Amino acid sequence: MAEVLLSARSVSRRYGRLTALAPFDLELCSGESVALVGPNGAGKSTLLSLLAGSLRASEGQISITGAAKVGWLPQRPSHYGRLTARENLILFARLENVGDPERRTTELLERFSLPSDRASAHLSVGNRQRLSLAIALLGDPNVLLLDEPTASLDPKQRARMWQEAGRHVAEGGAVLFSSQNPEEVERHATRVIALDSGRLAFSGGPAEYVVWEREP
Amino acid sequence: MRTLRAAALLTYKDLVSLRRAPLVVILLACYPLLIAGLVGLVAGYANARPRVAVVDLDHIPPTTKIAGHKYHIKAAIDEVAKNVRISWMSKPAADQALRTGSIVGVITIPQGFLTDLKSVVHSPTLEFETAQGGISSRVTQQMQALVYNLNLKLQGAFIKDAIRYISLIQRGGKANFLGSSYNVLGIQKARALLLKEKGNATAIEVARFLDTAEGALRASQVSASAVAQPIKLSVETRQGRSWLFSAQMQAYALALTIAILALALAAAVTASERDENVACLLGRGLVSKLSLLLAKVALATVVSLVVGAGILLAFGAIVDIGGITGGQPWGRIPLVLGGVILFGAALGAIGTLIGALAREGRSATLGALLVALPIVLLGLVPREIVPPAGIVSDFLPFSHGQRFFGSALYDLHPWATVGPEALWLLGLLILWGAVARLVLPRLTEG
Repeated sequence: MAEVLLSARSVSRRYGRLTALAPFDLELCSGESVALVGPNGAGKSTLLSLLAGSLRASEGQISITGAAKVGWLPQRPSHYGRLTARENLILFARLENVGDPERRTTELLERFSLPSDRASAHLSVGNRQRLSLAIALLGDPNVLLLDEPTASLDPKQRARMWQEAGRHVAEGGAVLFSSQNPEEVERHATRVIALDSGRLAFSGGPAEYVVWEREP
Repeated sequence: MRTLRAAALLTYKDLVSLRRAPLVVILLACYPLLIAGLVGLVAGYANARPRVAVVDLDHIPPTTKIAGHKYHIKAAIDEVAKNVRISWMSKPAADQALRTGSIVGVITIPQGFLTDLKSVVHSPTLEFETAQGGISSRVTQQMQALVYNLNLKLQGAFIKDAIRYISLIQRGGKANFLGSSYNVLGIQKARALLLKEKGNATAIEVARFLDTAEGALRASQVSASAVAQPIKLSVETRQGRSWLFSAQMQAYALALTIAILALALAAAVTASERDENVACLLGRGLVSKLSLLLAKVALATVVSLVVGAGILLAFGAIVDIGGITGGQPWGRIPLVLGGVILFGAALGAIGTLIGALAREGRSATLGALLVALPIVLLGLVPREIVPPAGIVSDFLPFSHGQRFFGSALYDLHPWATVGPEALWLLGLLILWGAVARLVLPRLTEG
C-alpha cells in the first residue's frame, strides 16, 4: 500500500465573507499524480498555496508525514530577475539549509539545461519556468505541488516539464498539479479532483473524470 | 541565529540586485541631493528682504531743516531700512500691491508729519499696514527697527540742538529761534554785570541764583550728552562659512537625502518580493517575517551609511580644498555615521511597512515619496510656531536625525543632544519595526 505523504483535514480559506475554499479533505500518496481541475476562481491555487504552507488555513489541519518535504511551483515564475539562475539556486538552497548548495545547484543547472551566467529576467519563458521548478526541487521534496506548470509553455517545453514530473513520481514522490488542459489531465494524472466555487465537485480516476465532464 | 542568517542572505541578495541597477542607485542618490539643494535655496530665500511700500501723503521735500540740521528724510528712510526693500508708491498703487501680495506692508507718512516733527510739540506718527500671514510679525518687527533707527538719527540732532541752547544760555551769543534772530546775554556775562553792583543785596541774591542755575544747566548738559551716546552695538563681520557649507546645511542635506533614500529603497525592495512572486515562497517557512524585516532594514541602513559617508566626504573635501574657515570636523564623522545607522534603520522600518502595504513596486515607491515629503516638512516646521507639528514630528525620525547630525558635527559638547536623539531613533526603530512586522503577512500571503 502506498504511503500517505501529505494529508489535509477540513482545510478551508475565507477572505472576509468570501469563501475561497470550503472545508476540504485530501490525501496524497507516494507514486500518485493528482490533477486539480476546475474553472478560474474554483480554488485550485488557494488549495495549492495552503498545502505549500504559503497561505494560512482559516480552519482545518495539514499534516506532512515524517520527513516528507514539499516543493512548490507557483503559477507565475518565482525567482529574482536580477540574479542569474545559479545565484537564485544558491540563495534558495542556503535558505532551505541544503547540505551542499554549490553541488546541488550545479546538479540542477545541468539537469534542467539552464544557462548559469545570465540574469534570470532575460531567460526565455520556458527556462524561467524550469528555473522555478528547479528551485522547487532544491530541497529534494517528496511532494511536488505544480500550479498550472505548462500554461505558458510551447509543446517541446511542456514535454520536458512532464518528463520531470514523471521522473519525480517514478522515484516514489507525489505530484499534485492544477491544469486547464483536459488532454494533459488524461495523460499525466492517476487521479483527478475537480473544484467548483471552492467546493469539491468530483474525485476519481481520469477515465471517470472524462465521463463526468461530458455529462450535461 | 537562523533568523539573522536568512536576513543576511536576503540583504546580500538585495545589494547584488542593487549593484546591477546602477541607474536606480544614481537616481536614488541624486534625487534627494537635488531636493536638499532646492530646500536650501528656499531656506535662503526665506532670509531675503521683503518688499514694503512707502506712501508720502505729506509731500516731503528732498531736504528739510530740523533742529538746525539739514535732513534728507527720504534718503534717511531708504538708508535705515536695512532689512526691507523700500518702494515709494502712491496710496492706490500701494493698496493694490498689498492686496495682490507683491508687497508685505505699507508705511504711510500722513499729512502734517513734517510740521509735527519740526514743532517738537507733538510726536509725528508713521502709519503701518501689513497683510495677514506668517511673515507679517517679522515685517512688523523690521518696521519697528526702521522707526527706531530713524528716531536715533533725529534724536542725535535734537540733543545736539538742546546742548547748543544750554551752552548759549550759559555763555551767551547769537541765536535763531522760529525764524527770528536774538542776542542772548548768557549767565556768565549776566553774573559779571551783577557783581559790579557791589553792596546791592538783591543783585547778590540774583547772582547766587545764577550760580545755582549755571550748575543745574551744566548737569543737564552732561545728562544730555550721555543720552546722545546711547548704547551702541559693535558689529564685526568675521570670515566664516558661507550658508552653503554651514552646519545646518550639512545636517539638512544628510537628513533629507537619507530620509528619501531609505524610505523609497526599503519600500521598493520590500514590494519587489511580491513583484517577483518570491514573497509567497519565502512566506512558506523559508524565511521568518522577522528575517524579512531585518533584511530590508539592514539594506536601508547599509545604503544610508554609504550615501551618508559619501555626502560627508564630499562636503569635507570641498571645505578642505576651498580652505573654508573652520574646516570639516573629521574627528566627529564616526559619531555622525553612528546617527546615520540609527536614522537609516528607523526609516527602513517605515519603508518596509509601506512596501508591505503597497500592492506592487511602483505604488510602493510612489507611496514612499508621498510619505517622505510630510515626514521631512513636519521636521522642518519650528515646534514653537506649530506645537502639534512638533508632537507628530517626534514620532517620525527626520527631526531627530537632523538634530543628531547638526549637534554631532558642530556642537562643542554634542552628547547632551546626541544621546537623547539616539534613544529617540532607537525607540522609533523598534516602534515602526513592530508595526511593519505586524503588516508583513500581507506581503507573503499575497
